[in-house]
Amino acid sequence: MNWQWRWAALKNGFQDATAYRIEFFFEVFGSAVTPAIIQIMLWYALFQVGGASQVAGLSYNELIHYTLVSTLFTQVRGGNNDFELSEMIRSGALSNYLLRPVGVVEFTYIRGVAPKIFIAGLCLVVGIALSFFLGLNPTRILGAMGLAMVGNIIHYQLGAILATAAFHWEEAYSVLMVKNMLVAFLSGELIPLTFFPEKWAWIWKSTPFYLYVFGPTQYALGKWTDAEFFHQVLLSGLWLIGFSILVRVSWALSIRRYQSLGG
Amino acid sequence: MNSPNSHLVSNEPIISVRDVKRVFRSIKKAEGLKGSLQLLYKPQYSEHQALKGFSFDIKAGEFVGLIGANGAGKTTLLKILAGLIPPSSGTATVLGEKPFDRSLSFRKKIALVMGQKAQLWWDLPAVDAFDLLRAIYAIDQTVYRERLNTLAKLLDVTRLLNTQIRRLSLGERMKMELIGAILHWPSIIFLDEPTIGLDVLAAHNLREFLRTFNERERATIILTSHNMDDIEQLCPRILIIRNGELIYDGDPKTLTNRGQCVLKVRLMEKPTNEELAAVCSLNLSQISRPNGGKVPGADLPEGTTDGAAHVEKDDDDEFSEMAAAQELIYFNIERTQVAHILQPLLAKYRLIDMGIDEQTLESVIQRIYEQSPQTAVGASS
Repeated sequence: MNWQWRWAALKNGFQDATAYRIEFFFEVFGSAVTPAIIQIMLWYALFQVGGASQVAGLSYNELIHYTLVSTLFTQVRGGNNDFELSEMIRSGALSNYLLRPVGVVEFTYIRGVAPKIFIAGLCLVVGIALSFFLGLNPTRILGAMGLAMVGNIIHYQLGAILATAAFHWEEAYSVLMVKNMLVAFLSGELIPLTFFPEKWAWIWKSTPFYLYVFGPTQYALGKWTDAEFFHQVLLSGLWLIGFSILVRVSWALSIRRYQSLGG
Repeated sequence: MNSPNSHLVSNEPIISVRDVKRVFRSIKKAEGLKGSLQLLYKPQYSEHQALKGFSFDIKAGEFVGLIGANGAGKTTLLKILAGLIPPSSGTATVLGEKPFDRSLSFRKKIALVMGQKAQLWWDLPAVDAFDLLRAIYAIDQTVYRERLNTLAKLLDVTRLLNTQIRRLSLGERMKMELIGAILHWPSIIFLDEPTIGLDVLAAHNLREFLRTFNERERATIILTSHNMDDIEQLCPRILIIRNGELIYDGDPKTLTNRGQCVLKVRLMEKPTNEELAAVCSLNLSQISRPNGGKVPGADLPEGTTDGAAHVEKDDDDEFSEMAAAQELIYFNIERTQVAHILQPLLAKYRLIDMGIDEQTLESVIQRIYEQSPQTAVGASS
């Protein structure tokens, strides 16, 4: 395993992501604060204006805590590197990477994840600080962030598999967009997944998306036991292995259709 | 500098191509809204055969020029050899491997520079991109510094290494692309129009570098370019592609140095091509005119002063360009025939002026592009 290029790609990806620092900070804080404010406004409307005392068994304070903590993990959720893969296939820019002695899927991920690692570090600091105000266990924040990072990898793997549609249809933007909409809903970043009726819970439980935000939030908030958390970590490991195989198979099958347009 | 090809036996072909064909299939959209609607429920596909059965070998250390008009198949061939796309049929072997297998060892030994395609990262300075490439190819720091300094000095971009790529001019970007492509000292370099956008000095420096790199490192270089200066100065062997077919494989001098030239004359009189052929003992096919063989004034009724008027204007130095062009006569002859043609010509007609055009590679290639696809190039080896 050559760690040298991986470390260099990570540094390079971070340099690329932070080339425009104002843009970078707006992206980080704007994308965190805006949805959080919308959610808090929603809870306020339901409880303070609408007069509800509980929603799906959760009180106003519990939902506010959920929003604050889940925002940390939403920031770590996968980026748009799968869109980048799809666009590279469509435009022929993939050729630049195919020529290099590195795996294109891994290389794109490592470059893309660099700013997320930085953001995860920031969120961890904020999360630990927050844990003192909300009475949470800082160790659990750390574990939850680890699970969120594994979720980040799974998210990219799925995107990389779906991006191979661009080899066949030339464009995979809509496929990836639909995936992202499902992820936004089923990861727990919009609403806690406990809002799902019990008979429909199988829907989110049968995808890995809940491991991105809902799972880490549940663990950080103390809703999952340690045993349950490790069970979920094991499950995420299985998703990782399964998707790794699917990434290899889908790319090996599809790359023959690559046309390397342009140039 | 360590030679990238020191392990190769010189007589073994480093690139071997056998009956390689490549077909591209794409959706064909009819014109307008109707075409867009038709595309939704009944898409039409068309197939384009970019390569129609190529075979050739290239030995280690060769510098080969790949020439062809736009869409002839040059870049498709380079992409197959670099392992980006597989051939539809036939076999290509590069460095003893099938390029499309894209083994790590294969990718470490090749480079492809596409003049029209950016390979470096737009928002980063070149030096950051080069540092990543150093890590990817596991180049020793000292060797990397030495190579980067050499290349940056040679291409005169040292002062630009810390500038964002997107802020560079086209030529400066091209130079950076080239540095990025060859930092790992590849055994085979595929260059697709590398001098595009370069100024005269930079193009010269680049050519000199490629020549030195080829000679000193014994790197095999395949170059496509529409700039015949690049080809003439660098490539002792050229492959000419027309409509996906290899129509010439050999020395460019064979094309240009056949002793052929074009003798251009303007005469006071208006002899027909048949008359000229008889006077000069030439075939009719060796005589041509810019206006397609029509003799100016030949179809005018007898007694008209058209021809005289031309001469008069000529004498008065008022000869229009059009009129001058109409009276030009081209003799496509051997260089040694010039005197033999002029003697009978001067004996019978009055000469206004004359000139001799040597065949350049550019003029030969231009003629080949203009020929129909069925026409073969005689000297193909």
